Amino acid sequence: MIPLSLPAASEATRPYVTRLRVDPTTAIDEADAILVVEDEEGPSFSGLHGLLTLEGVCADALEGDVVLVQPDIGRAERLLRRGSPHNTLLVTERCDQLCVMCSQPPKKTHVDRFAFFEQACLLAEPNIVIGITGGEPTLYKDDLFGLIERVGLARPDIEFHILTNAQHFEASDIDRLRQDIFRRVSWGIPLYSHEPARHDEIVGKAGAFDRLQSSFHALLLAGARIELRTVLIQDNIDDLPQLARLVTSRLCFIESWSIMQLEKTGFARNRWVGLFADHKLSFEPVATALDYVLLHGKAVHLFNFPRCTVPAEYRALAPASISDWKRKFAPACATCREQDQCCGFFEWHPDEHANAWISPL
Amino acid sequence: MSVVPLRFRAINQGTLAINDCGRFFLASDNLVERIIGDDLTQGDRTELSRDGHFFSQDDAFAFDAHAYGCASRWDRAGELDYLILVPTLRCNLSCSYCQVSRVGLGRKGFDWDAETLGAILNLIDTLPTQRIKIEFQGGEPSLRPDLITAVIERCERFEHKQFVICTNLQDLSDDFFAILTQPDVYISTSLDGDVDTHAHNRTGAGTGQFLDNLERVLTEFGPDKISALPTIDPQNPPAIDALINSYASRALHSIFLRPINYQGFARKQHSSAREQSTEWRQFYERFVRRIIERNWADREVVLEETYFSICLRRIFQPGHDRHVDLRNPNPIGVDYVVIDYDGTVYPTDESRMLTRSRIIDLSIGDIFSGWDSEKRQLLNAHATNQFDESCRRCAYQPFCGRDLVDDLARYGRIDVERTQTEFCRRHLHIFDLIFEMIYSDDPAIQYSLAQWLRLPSVPARFGIRL
Repeated sequence: MIPLSLPAASEATRPYVTRLRVDPTTAIDEADAILVVEDEEGPSFSGLHGLLTLEGVCADALEGDVVLVQPDIGRAERLLRRGSPHNTLLVTERCDQLCVMCSQPPKKTHVDRFAFFEQACLLAEPNIVIGITGGEPTLYKDDLFGLIERVGLARPDIEFHILTNAQHFEASDIDRLRQDIFRRVSWGIPLYSHEPARHDEIVGKAGAFDRLQSSFHALLLAGARIELRTVLIQDNIDDLPQLARLVTSRLCFIESWSIMQLEKTGFARNRWVGLFADHKLSFEPVATALDYVLLHGKAVHLFNFPRCTVPAEYRALAPASISDWKRKFAPACATCREQDQCCGFFEWHPDEHANAWISPL
Repeated sequence: MSVVPLRFRAINQGTLAINDCGRFFLASDNLVERIIGDDLTQGDRTELSRDGHFFSQDDAFAFDAHAYGCASRWDRAGELDYLILVPTLRCNLSCSYCQVSRVGLGRKGFDWDAETLGAILNLIDTLPTQRIKIEFQGGEPSLRPDLITAVIERCERFEHKQFVICTNLQDLSDDFFAILTQPDVYISTSLDGDVDTHAHNRTGAGTGQFLDNLERVLTEFGPDKISALPTIDPQNPPAIDALINSYASRALHSIFLRPINYQGFARKQHSSAREQSTEWRQFYERFVRRIIERNWADREVVLEETYFSICLRRIFQPGHDRHVDLRNPNPIGVDYVVIDYDGTVYPTDESRMLTRSRIIDLSIGDIFSGWDSEKRQLLNAHATNQFDESCRRCAYQPFCGRDLVDDLARYGRIDVERTQTEFCRRHLHIFDLIFEMIYSDDPAIQYSLAQWLRLPSVPARFGIRL
């Protein structure tokens, strides 16, 4: 695993955002901190907020990283890692849904870090996609929109991908969302079933399906870009073919559909046996759905589907989707020749399951 | 109040119901009666609403999603990024059905002069896009490799570029061959079938030389470098397997069947080509059915009739095609233009031929003073099937298009009742044929449809039955 949070010693007293520079010639912003020494204690950087020493990672691996330094707890969080395609900002841990398989169960309290995130985005490497997740980011819709608008204006090269349950979009948001900057925003929105009752049950919120429809309507009128997401569990795998019909008709305006395999963490960790739907054993509903949406020209992907568990003809739809910092391969994967194209497994996925499940290519 | 945005068409297997966004199903006679008689059951309503064939007018989301579906069928011509250039009108062949008009090899004053070339290079410099496609037409453009090179060199700045040289491959000079070695340069040529057919139609005694050159290009660059199309005389069509073999044996798997066009010089010598006869349509259908059989028998190779695939994809996958002969609206002089040897600008290659044949002057301007002319605006006011009375009643309207120049070429006017036009008859035939195949149970047909739609596997069904 690539560590995202590092022990840090700092001269500052209050939290701050800085960009680490190993090569002093690349320092162009006053928020850059330049490497001054690297010894047994780790690399030390000097910047506007004084000296900063980090542990556990060599200086070269930190070049260009944007970090949030928190002197009070002695840590530095790597908010944006240079060269990584998987940079995600967690803007809140509160959520108003309680999805049965949630990988990041919500908390009651909110720590407002929007100002730090905005600074981080402004310091990001050119042309990156910044992920925003939660909790539920649109619980702080005004802060969120403000961040996107200001960063978008200052940095026309940056795009955003925002995970949201879409329970909070209103007709009154449409004009704002029609601004050009929101063309660079893709909204990842979960929909688990074409049956309202089943969707509501899975997300743990009565009326969620209907509320989602009215958000979809607002997003359609705003011309928003939507990535629809469906996590597979035993309760909804047989709904996929009907969901595919919905995707090509009423939801025909979505940009792409992601069918996602379960991540064994959060709530899914203890509920695995009752949730995990083994697509390798019953690929038919998945295949029917894929055939249907592909026939109708919609983009569709299989995320977190190890390649060897997918029939050969559909493997091109299963990219290496798991973020680099939390991806691993099981011992049984060692002989596989297609690892570089495969999502592998989440770091916390039990090897016993993976070993028994896969068949190296 | 409820909305049922369906139109109907009888096909061999029953009644096809297609909604305004182009989603469709095959309806039982009973269901058709209930729809027409406004006598839908609750079960009907639920089932129809799944694909947007039925919704309540109060359901604003359904209504707007439907509007989005309709709008996604419309082409939005973007910035000018496709130029069809005619560096010379001279040609080293004189085919009996020459489509493009040509003059003899030694004639003077039929190539771009320095001023015209300069104006074209200026135009390229001012294009606002990052993407460019340039097609070199003629005449025979390979007679002027220097002009082709000048244009290609000027396109250095574009992120995406593609150059297609339409050549008869009769003479392969070293200079021309050197141009072909560039990876973004492609060739389009004519191959009318077996040696005798091609010799009879086109190259006569020079046929051996053409075939040698074709072979050399294929060997050197592979089949992806080349697209070839056969021109078919419907009165005297070639043997289908011989035609297919002449392509398949060269690993050319996409065959664009083209009937002799009632344009250019062909108009004089082949007057029967004004209307494509039933013979042509029968030949076309036999050809498509034959490649389906061959695809089924040999799964290593997927043959296709190019236009059939284009129409098929338009049914299922709106917005995925930039084929300018079939789109709606089909505005002229916007995203692509033809620039002739003398700098005159035409909306399409066909309109260049019509003008040169003195049938109607369809030039819309020139490279020196532009082409935002009154004539262009007048034509573009009619460049859609959207408001045509006959098209509005036609179930295939969402998939179909409009071709003003074709109407002008055949009838000298654009207000002929739509169903009386060759464009309409041709597309009704092809869409009928496709839907008959969509609802066929023949695994060979289903296999080819899936391949032509570029699907990873054959779906359990292509169309729903209700």
